[in-house]
Amino acid sequence: MHSMAKAEEKPAALQRTRQILRFVQLFESLGVLLLLAVVFAVTSVMSPVFLSYNNITNILNTASIMAVTGFGMTIAIAMKGFDLSVGSTQALTACIAATLVGIVGIPLAIAGTLVAGLIIGIINGLVISKIHVPAFVATLGMMSIIRGIALLFTNGQSILIRGHDEYALINTAKLFGLPMLFVIALATLAVLYVLLYHTRFGRHVCAVGGNEMAAVAAGINVGRITLATFGLVSLTAALSGVMLSAQLMIVDGTLGVGFELQAIAISVLGGTSLAGGAGNLPGTLIAALLLATISGALNILKVPALYQYMALGVLLIFALGLDSLRRLFIEKAVMMERTR
Amino acid sequence: MNTATARDETSLPKEDALPTGNVAKVGRVRYTLGQYAIQWIMLISIVLLSLANPNFRQPSNIANILLQASFAGIAAAGMTLLIVAGAFDLSVAGLLALCGIGIVELMPQFGLVAAILVALALGLLLGAVNGLVVTKLRIPAFIATLGMMYIYLAVGFIWAGSVAVPVTDSAFLNLGTGTIGPVPTPFVVMIAVYLAAHGILRFTRYGRYTRAIGSNPTAARVAGLPVDRILILAFVFVGLCTAISGILLTALLSSAMAIMAQGFELNVIAVVVVGGTSLNGGQGTLFGSFTGALLFAAINNALNIFGVGAYWQYVAVGSILIVALAIGGLRKRLLGMARA
Repeated sequence: MHSMAKAEEKPAALQRTRQILRFVQLFESLGVLLLLAVVFAVTSVMSPVFLSYNNITNILNTASIMAVTGFGMTIAIAMKGFDLSVGSTQALTACIAATLVGIVGIPLAIAGTLVAGLIIGIINGLVISKIHVPAFVATLGMMSIIRGIALLFTNGQSILIRGHDEYALINTAKLFGLPMLFVIALATLAVLYVLLYHTRFGRHVCAVGGNEMAAVAAGINVGRITLATFGLVSLTAALSGVMLSAQLMIVDGTLGVGFELQAIAISVLGGTSLAGGAGNLPGTLIAALLLATISGALNILKVPALYQYMALGVLLIFALGLDSLRRLFIEKAVMMERTR
Repeated sequence: MNTATARDETSLPKEDALPTGNVAKVGRVRYTLGQYAIQWIMLISIVLLSLANPNFRQPSNIANILLQASFAGIAAAGMTLLIVAGAFDLSVAGLLALCGIGIVELMPQFGLVAAILVALALGLLLGAVNGLVVTKLRIPAFIATLGMMYIYLAVGFIWAGSVAVPVTDSAFLNLGTGTIGPVPTPFVVMIAVYLAAHGILRFTRYGRYTRAIGSNPTAARVAGLPVDRILILAFVFVGLCTAISGILLTALLSSAMAIMAQGFELNVIAVVVVGGTSLNGGQGTLFGSFTGALLFAAINNALNIFGVGAYWQYVAVGSILIVALAIGGLRKRLLGMARA
């Protein structure tokens, strides 16, 4: 979109739409932070345990595991895709990691798990780009297939990570006073931030998400971008699988149910529009912190876990409602600019 | 945004210049193969399975397949209409559970008929809520209904706790376990629902409008169709069909709980998609969905008879879903249509 005219030439209606749009965007970035602050303040007052070192660490850890996959999902949504299979992938890769640790040692186990994640993602990408199955149904099918494989792999049993207590260090170690899982999330954010905002790949992802036909016309290899993006999403799901297995030290094939919903929710809540074409990675991290804080608060206040489903659903609908409001105003602004 | 989508759609056929076909051009054999692919696959599977295992062709087993096909099948009738209208409903598992819980909670006080009426009304109401969230908040259907799914699940847990609530009324249980002649009652209900849905989609103005908004919402809106109202009605129809499924399933299980239908949405959509209804909206076949429901039930039944474990069934359902869509694409090419 060009900036075609100077501000003073624009009619008042357009100005107003712009102002509302700016307000919605401001609310979106500040709103999540504000909500985070409110939940924090209220819960701290209601229960002093909430601000304890352990609890804060817990919240950071939960948020980190969510955020890592949320980053991948954010990039997929920027490409106007979705991956509904991340929950199953997280379960399968957590089980693979737990098994491999006992066989090949920790570094190789992590590497092997990430490769497994990448392979799953490439299969997703191939089904979508080569067989032309819509991403939504393809990953819905893969969600079921990978869940089945995870249950078959573990034979429905739990896998206990024994004899490798160092593996738990991924969860318990501190770096510069920060929990290791949070450091991993920050590092992932840094890498993906550069990838999305400062590389050709990132620009192509946004181009495909913004307007696929235009991207094709511009000579972008959409198939390859799709493949790479879905590979990346599953890679982040595998990383979260490693993190989760280190946190729990006992894993099974039923982990991660509903995880895909959380990943999508934090992406959208963080300001990534479902319209595609752009992704907000730092926003995803903040939204992950919000979601983790809410579930931490509900835990501390002894609200049954069931209500957390409710919180997740309501938050998702709220975030999406805000998102559609923003899209409405962008449409209005664009239309006014065109018809002028 | 809407105008952009419309332009994309009109320019699609140009992209891959396949011949636009009709019966005469592609030949009678290819047309019959393509048009009734799912029915052929169904027929061949049944014959092969009957030959392979004598237990499969026992009348009692056939009746069992018809019974198992009914639950996802009935909901799939509504879902077919909704997918034709260009939307999805992923909340059906939660909606079904709420209707089931409604029945078992209300029947002791209010009696059989009132409880069933309330459950049906609940289905209509929740369907309308889904429709309103999608149309008025303008949230993409599948993500909005995914959020609603979690809310329904939470309400179900809050209403009934996390245990199965039993029901003992023998007249009610007969709805799920009884037969009319040799045919299970739910299957008779399923036939009635499909006849009604087929009638609505093919022979009413509402059905025509549904296809119109599914194939091109912008054009339909410009032509003055009440797009939102048509879509909400389609969601209401899904709610009604799912409530009927819920009542029958509760009668079969003689209990209801929040997670009584986990994964149900996947089955229902798989049934519709395998039946040959296009995910792009605008066209769909209830005969196909009907066959799809039977095919899934037959395959699951065969997997059980051949002693394939429950975990493999996840893999099977997911694979069938993806393969069916891949075949759908192939079928389009067989019929000489432009790509899906």
